Amino acid sequence: MICLAIACDDSASPETETKNASKASANETGEQPAPLLATGESQNPATRFAVSIRKPLGPPKVSTGLQDMHGNLVLAACSTCHTTRPPNHQNKLAKDLDEFHSEMQFSHGTISCLSCHNERDYDALKLADGSRVEYADVMLLCAQCHGPQMTAYQHGAHGGMTGYWDLARGPQIKNNCIDCHDPHAPKFPSMQPTFKPQDRFLDPPRTDH
Amino acid sequence: MTADDNADLHQSSPEPSRLLPILNQPATRRTALKAAGAALGLAAFGKAVSPLWSIPENVSVDEFLQQHYKELSDTDKQKVFARLESETQQKLGVEITISDPPPIPGVRYGYAINLSKCNGNGACMEACNKENNHHRGVQQSYIRVLELPKGTMDMEAGNTTYDHTVPQDDKYYMPVQCQQCDNPPCVTVCPVEATWKEEDGIVVVDYNWCIGCRYCEAACPYHARRFNWEEPEIPSDEINPDQGYLSNRVRPQGTMEKCHFCLHRTREGRLPACLEACPTGARVFGDLNDPESNINWVLQNKRVFVLKEELGTQPSFFYFFDS
Amino acid sequence: MSTASDHYPTLDDAAHPIRSYPKFLWWCLGQATNGGLLFYLWMFVLTAIALVGANAWSVQVAEGMIVTNMTDHVSWGLYIANFTFMVGVAAGGVMMVIPAYLYHDKKMHDVVVIGEMLAIAAILMCLLFVLVDLGRPERFWHLIPGIGRFNWPMSMLTWDVIVLNGYLLLNLHICGYLLYMQFLGRRPNQAWYLPFVWVSIFWAISIHTVTAFLYCGLGGRPFWNTALLAPRFLASAFVAGPAFILILFSCIHRAAGVKIDDGPKRLLINIIRVTALVNLLMVISEVFTEFYTGGGHTASARYLFLGLHGHNALVPWIWTAVAFDVLSTGLFLSPLVFRYSKVLIAACAMAFVGAWIEKGMGLIVPGFIPSTLHEIVEYTPSLTEWKVSAGIWAVGLMTLTILLKMWITVFSTRPSLSHESPASDQPA
Repeated sequence: MICLAIACDDSASPETETKNASKASANETGEQPAPLLATGESQNPATRFAVSIRKPLGPPKVSTGLQDMHGNLVLAACSTCHTTRPPNHQNKLAKDLDEFHSEMQFSHGTISCLSCHNERDYDALKLADGSRVEYADVMLLCAQCHGPQMTAYQHGAHGGMTGYWDLARGPQIKNNCIDCHDPHAPKFPSMQPTFKPQDRFLDPPRTDH
Repeated sequence: MTADDNADLHQSSPEPSRLLPILNQPATRRTALKAAGAALGLAAFGKAVSPLWSIPENVSVDEFLQQHYKELSDTDKQKVFARLESETQQKLGVEITISDPPPIPGVRYGYAINLSKCNGNGACMEACNKENNHHRGVQQSYIRVLELPKGTMDMEAGNTTYDHTVPQDDKYYMPVQCQQCDNPPCVTVCPVEATWKEEDGIVVVDYNWCIGCRYCEAACPYHARRFNWEEPEIPSDEINPDQGYLSNRVRPQGTMEKCHFCLHRTREGRLPACLEACPTGARVFGDLNDPESNINWVLQNKRVFVLKEELGTQPSFFYFFDS
Repeated sequence: MSTASDHYPTLDDAAHPIRSYPKFLWWCLGQATNGGLLFYLWMFVLTAIALVGANAWSVQVAEGMIVTNMTDHVSWGLYIANFTFMVGVAAGGVMMVIPAYLYHDKKMHDVVVIGEMLAIAAILMCLLFVLVDLGRPERFWHLIPGIGRFNWPMSMLTWDVIVLNGYLLLNLHICGYLLYMQFLGRRPNQAWYLPFVWVSIFWAISIHTVTAFLYCGLGGRPFWNTALLAPRFLASAFVAGPAFILILFSCIHRAAGVKIDDGPKRLLINIIRVTALVNLLMVISEVFTEFYTGGGHTASARYLFLGLHGHNALVPWIWTAVAFDVLSTGLFLSPLVFRYSKVLIAACAMAFVGAWIEKGMGLIVPGFIPSTLHEIVEYTPSLTEWKVSAGIWAVGLMTLTILLKMWITVFSTRPSLSHESPASDQPA
């Protein structure tokens, strides 16, 4: 993961902003279009610090199961195989796949692989209208279906953040969708509470009611 | 009054049979015996309260005579902070800095929790414990997370001691901490004004002024206040050296403490520790006076409620669900 | 008017060694600490208990309140329970003051000072119970107006500090003045004590009302947040106070040989007959309201009387209190209490203990259970708390013993002026 700092565009107010992310096109520099990242914070533009969103580096790599001489896992880019193998449109589940992905948990509504992955170009993702979108800009892809979440995200009401609440005093770093959600099984994972106040005389932990 | 006067005044002696032989004596001698008894009693009392002699080591004269926070001049404060820093240095061998950031003019803090997101994992409690130099022995924290069955808001159906993977399908989770009320019962009842509401809405405690009567703890409807039942123990390497006088400095034994919205962070513009730690992003913090702030977006766009609204405490802490 | 005897030079006589109030008090104290084997044994045992309490409290101050069994959930316990009850006992003494001064009951007038002395000892205990409940007792000066910060009039606790100390001073003045005048053989100057007496009557009501307000003003604690709390406090105070005084009469008679007239006894019993019934009526009203209504606000009452979610530590206590209340009320209403002193003592003891449970552990602890987040953390006092509380009771009883002996000393050296009462035997 890297952090890309993006200065917020104050001119875009959330009300007038288009919620249809597919309208936005990624620009050459790899920066997100401004509307997606506009936060609700309005301060004096002159002294505003950046809100940055953690971004994936690029197309993911898949483990081949092999190890090199140093004992490190050998990773391969998706395109290594996918440029030579035609896609099977019948595949909906991970267990239908031959290699690599058979262990993958896939549970993402009713969509299938090719809803987000290109048939040929596996180094990038695709939006619903078929236009190409970089892995780094995965949030555009999520936002096209998850509008309410995206709206909440833009107002700091969805997704974790660190840094400053007051952008006049310092920057803020926000999580990316895929920091918390596995895109193939986006339901937030179960957790085991690790911290419990140890009050004297309080009942031992209860699991029932 | 001398023993002689006593002798003069002494009426007919009680019948000898009804007195201890030793007391069937002329009055002067009886007075002497009484004096001896009193001396013995005093000596025994001195012995009985001997554990108190350990206090001068824990409480310096300066601390004993320290004035209320609001009475302190800037010079006084610098002296007090320097003293506290050196005391921590001596006790724990840790370099700390005690800051005292003032409220940011025009800011009023608000906090909201998305109950649809919170999964009760307790990371906020842990972050609070570490950030605020809480007593480690009891895993103290300003936050308690209630697990409630879906379909009710009755806390009586809830419990805080769950110990299973979260979230459970039929449950939702509600963290409760200080609601920073606009009409705080704890401030009303404090007999010595050791707790008060600051300009930015944060209710703070002067740990060096609190007498430890715990009336505020009885008054708080949100179980938000904590008492230092013993000297807090924190391993030296776990001390958070970035300390605020009214917030997360190590609290003295026998005083009250409470959540202060991490004022040593938030008054510098930073987010509270519990928000940064929340893995689900359920927490929203910001300035209620800024119409464009995150917290105001939540108030405008979500259906928000506060806990125990009927008590008229007017919390600055809100809860909402994603519809 | 003076009835000076031979060995009593009057104040006009320069030979008289006691020419000032402080000297009188000193002399009186000297006399009061003379006594027989029983007296010294009694005082020795009390001293021992008080020292154990002082030691336990010192440990508590040094090591922290962790040595108690209080928690953040039940943040007040045995100390505040005793405090609340003792405020009632102090206020109960006013039930002798009213007939004595307002209705000029001569016989009550002779023994009214017992009620006032009981108030002094009880208030002293109240102040001690508050002191031992403080986490930082050395900071008590923060409460002193002028040098501290006194959150008056907002905090009910500051009102309590004022009314308790005021009541203590009022009673100290009244008792001291009346005893001194008695000793000098003068008629007390009404201007010097009657206004104080009338103030003290209102004040007695106020100490318990204010103490009730301390709890019933808390919206977050539904168990306490009832307008009936102050009247209930008063009713049970006017049972417990007179009941204790009746026990005292019997003790004074047995230990000091001072026979208390039947008139005041009858009057006190008649007072208890009314107040016990009123108290029961209020308890029934509370119980009905809580249990007929149901809902979250009644969880504490359910915990107290029936137990809640399998927790029922207080259930036996409160039913004992109810049984004592009902039984003692029945006894008081029967003619047996006039006929047999044992029955009277039993009824008084039951009423006193019943009120102690009901106003102490039965009122303070359930206010915290369940907690404001509806968690149930039960509370049983730790050994330290029992020791400290016993120590304070011992100090209170010692104070009361000495005060009563001062009274007996003065009255035996100079019989009552107001009417012919036989000079009693020598004090024990």
